Amino acid sequence: MAAQQKNVWAFRFTTLSLVLIPVAVGINYVGKLFAAALKLPLWLDSIGTVLAGMLAGPWIGAISGAVNNIIFGITADPVSFWYLITSIVIGLVVGYLAMTGWIRDFGRAVLLGLIVALAAAVVSTPINVILWEGTTSNVWGDALYTILRDQGTPVWIASFIDELVVDLLDKVATVIVSFLIFKALPQRLTGLFAGQDQVEKL
Amino acid sequence: MTALQFTLYVPGDSWVHRLDPVSKMLITVVGLACTFLLPGHLAPALLLAASLALLATAGVLRRTAAVFAGVALIAVTFFVVQGLVYAGNETPALALGPLTFYREGLLLGLRLTLRLYNILASSLILILTTRPSDLVESLMRRGLPARFGYVIIAVLQIIPTMVEASNRITDAQRSRGMETEGSLWVRLRAFIPLMGPLVTSSLIATEERALALEVRGFASNRRPTFLNEESIPGYAWPVRIAALAVLLLGIAGRVVLS
Repeated sequence: MAAQQKNVWAFRFTTLSLVLIPVAVGINYVGKLFAAALKLPLWLDSIGTVLAGMLAGPWIGAISGAVNNIIFGITADPVSFWYLITSIVIGLVVGYLAMTGWIRDFGRAVLLGLIVALAAAVVSTPINVILWEGTTSNVWGDALYTILRDQGTPVWIASFIDELVVDLLDKVATVIVSFLIFKALPQRLTGLFAGQDQVEKL
Repeated sequence: MTALQFTLYVPGDSWVHRLDPVSKMLITVVGLACTFLLPGHLAPALLLAASLALLATAGVLRRTAAVFAGVALIAVTFFVVQGLVYAGNETPALALGPLTFYREGLLLGLRLTLRLYNILASSLILILTTRPSDLVESLMRRGLPARFGYVIIAVLQIIPTMVEASNRITDAQRSRGMETEGSLWVRLRAFIPLMGPLVTSSLIATEERALALEVRGFASNRRPTFLNEESIPGYAWPVRIAALAVLLLGIAGRVVLS
């Protein structure tokens, strides 16, 4: 983004970036509502986490993901609490790669979506295996799991593929949507969160 | 699009409602620990019965039943998937056309179902009887950084506002002729004009909110004081000790039964 490469992992807990976190969680929630209202076969419930990572870097992205699952864990869906790490990893991965130039163009954004899907599946698989012997509670994914297990695929691999097919479309769509919105944001706004501390000159 | 019920909290005045959030968190953690400690089927079933009895004394069984019904399909997939393909399957139990369900897999399905419902029941003891902001405040008294507490409470306030804004945006875009029904592609395309204005407007609002907070001393490092006084009922300690006793019982059960 900027000509001089900043330290991507530097903590920047300004008031502004802290205020971004609740907004990110709200965007996650509304994204899920819109997806349900439009009857899309996707969840699209991590757009806020992804945007927070793109705007303010890996730490704010990770905290947005964590707060998201803690909030829904203690208010609406106790099971979501157990997938805390998945959300954290999504925020971290997007935040880091976005800051190092992975959202420069559409093609790379699609690739970023694939990476996020892969990372999310890698992290979710152990949780699925420990909690539910590998199923994901998604009917299509679980049907595939059943077929794979029936042919003798090991639990871990079947579970990983189950999670990956469920995540793949959803995460790629999530990152593409976030990318399109991010690119359409006014530059003043994106600069604000990226921590460009220099004072505006008239 | 209607605003969904966002928090599951059921207002009330039972002894569980009056219990302080930390004691309830302890009960929930003990319940979750026992869920994974107890082997077999009978012990987890008894644990579930105990949690449900506690939820009944809190007067929140109806909401519990609604949550339980909401995940019934997941329980069904446990039975179907494990009954068909669990690695330890040996004894055929039930044949439906070309499909054979095995006894071992069905028993595993039962175990997973009990686990799912135990996780839910234990969590619901805390969730259904505690106002989320009370929980956060109580944690802030015990050392949760105030800024982090703000973030969580702000989420609880911001979500209804954003849902309202999203309804306004939906109406506005529809009046401009945006199609929200039709083929998958049409519906997918509608997502961006709905989401874009919401994201932009809420991000612009964050700058104002950050300024407003800083003006009110948000970045100050002084210890904040609290508006409400904390009330811990006299029976909180006996309840906490009982919860720890149940945990010990769970550990003993694990050792004896397995």
